[in-house]
Amino acid sequence: MVRYILERLVYMLITLLLIATLTFFLMKLLPGTPLSAADKLSEEQQAIVLEKYGLNDPLPVQYFNYITGLFQGDLGLSFQFDNREVTTILLERMGPSMTLGAQSLILGTIIGVLLGLLAAIYHNGVVDYGSTFIAVIGKSIPSFVFAGILQFYLGVRWGLFPVALWEGWEYTILPTLALAIFPIAIAARYMRTEMLEVLGSDFITTARAKGVNKFGVVFKHGLRNALIPIITIMGPLAVSLMTGTLVIENIFSVPGIGEQFVKSINTNDYPIIMGTTLFFSFLFILIILIIDLLYGLIDPRIRLTEGD
Amino acid sequence: MDNLLEVNNLHVSFDTYGGEVKAVRGVDFSVKKGETLAIVGESGSGKSVTTKALMGLIPSPPGRIKEGEILFEGKDLTKMKDKELSKIRGKDIAMIFQDPMTSLNPTMKVGNQIMEGLIKHQKKSKSEAKKRALELLELVGIANAEQRLKQYPHQFSGGMRQRVVIAIALACNPKLLLADEPTTALDVTIQAQILEVMKDIQKEMESGIVFITHDLGVVANVADRVAVMYAGKIVEIGKVDDIFYNPKHPYTWGLLGSMPSLDSTDDELYAIPGSPPDLMHPPKGDAFAPRSDFAMKIDFEQEPPMFKVSEDHYAATWLLHENAPAVQPPESVQTRMKGMTRESAEGDKV
Repeated sequence: MVRYILERLVYMLITLLLIATLTFFLMKLLPGTPLSAADKLSEEQQAIVLEKYGLNDPLPVQYFNYITGLFQGDLGLSFQFDNREVTTILLERMGPSMTLGAQSLILGTIIGVLLGLLAAIYHNGVVDYGSTFIAVIGKSIPSFVFAGILQFYLGVRWGLFPVALWEGWEYTILPTLALAIFPIAIAARYMRTEMLEVLGSDFITTARAKGVNKFGVVFKHGLRNALIPIITIMGPLAVSLMTGTLVIENIFSVPGIGEQFVKSINTNDYPIIMGTTLFFSFLFILIILIIDLLYGLIDPRIRLTEGD
Repeated sequence: MDNLLEVNNLHVSFDTYGGEVKAVRGVDFSVKKGETLAIVGESGSGKSVTTKALMGLIPSPPGRIKEGEILFEGKDLTKMKDKELSKIRGKDIAMIFQDPMTSLNPTMKVGNQIMEGLIKHQKKSKSEAKKRALELLELVGIANAEQRLKQYPHQFSGGMRQRVVIAIALACNPKLLLADEPTTALDVTIQAQILEVMKDIQKEMESGIVFITHDLGVVANVADRVAVMYAGKIVEIGKVDDIFYNPKHPYTWGLLGSMPSLDSTDDELYAIPGSPPDLMHPPKGDAFAPRSDFAMKIDFEQEPPMFKVSEDHYAATWLLHENAPAVQPPESVQTRMKGMTRESAEGDKV
């Protein structure tokens, strides 16, 4: 098991290196230069600035320098923010995004799974239709519409929670709710379908024949078997939630990474683009690893045997 | 002796978009303590639905018990709520399922699956239940029981899994065992072993068994009495000897005739012509008449009642009416019957 994880970590490093290489060269293909007001600078001045950041070197040299820095944990300096270190900016910006992402993911999954389970237990009843309705609404209406509604009612009209900004935990409530709608919808839909399918399988009849009651069948026998597909879809969803969403962060004035990332692309801030991409990739690969380990935990048939 | 189980006029229907499918249309039978009743018939004749109905395991909707009563130790199971039924399921009535590959929960340890019923019904502690589970695994012939308890179903072969399924059914010493084709998915050597295990256990616990199968060889091996089902009805019921040596219903003749035999000289295996009727619109009269070589005019007009052949032997065919012409079973069935008498006589000598 330990060996397996170590092996996976080595593959992870190789993958990251490949991603770094690809991103580096693709990024250089972006139109424009990092200079925001190139036309106001003389050619000489431009050359000085480019020289300072090593942008006059041949591409292979730039690439080699970047990768060397990467191995030393140095992601470089940002072009646009007073030469601040990319690492510092990332850490600062990732905090709010990941907090919102994790909170909405946990809340959304729990509520969604419960809704889906209830829908499956009371199949074709009021609860089922209600849960399906919520799921359809959650999936089809964009989150910024919910954000607006939440801000207006919970924030302005009833004054329960702060409407925007980032000054304490209570400020996370509304954006978390707005973000959670989507995972709720996804989890509820999948859980219902999976559970209904599992409840139709032979081993559930066996359990019923043993005298296990309706709830025992769902929670003791059904849930674990229905979870695999849920986990599969929740992985990528987790990444997209935690890496920040431009729209929600803008609406709630959250200083998150989503906005930062888009801005850095528009201004050709190479080090930030690289840093953010690598961080997102790292997060994604890490979550895939966690999902693979979870599979084994849930389903003994996928579990590694001692020999592996 | 009182009957352990008595089924009277049982009707089970499934409501589909196309209409009501009458899967079981008035079935009567009884099972005594320590007795094995085999229910035979082709696919779709209502065997499985009947047993599932006994357990209250018909998925509803779309299925429902339309009419009739199921008396278990004198109490009508059809009138019970699911909660009351779940106290009887697994404890007094247990079921062995057909497909060992899908009947066990793939994500639960085999030991826990056996112990579940024990903990629920007999209020046993975990260690007591484990002890009993060990006993059960040894009873059904699984070696290394201690270690096997901790394994998952995918670590067992098909035959081993079926033994586990049987162990689960036997856990609480059920008074009535419903076996829905328990050996169909197994190869013949394992089949024989499993049947032995079931017989041993029946002897020990005096349980009644309802044994569903379409394998007449298995019937001859295990059954005391046999009920032949066709199109949701029992068309002939009697002691195993009555059914094999003195069958009266043309459908039973057909079944016996389509059994392959070692000393047959025919090139082709006999099969009953045609296919079973659509139970959404069951035919008038005798449901088997359109496929029968012996059908008379009345077979297409009026349903035959159960005629008494002997004390325990009944058959629903107009051929038994006093005005009916005397008809002999087809040649192949007659030679078959003779062959079986000879085989069993030889068997007795050995």
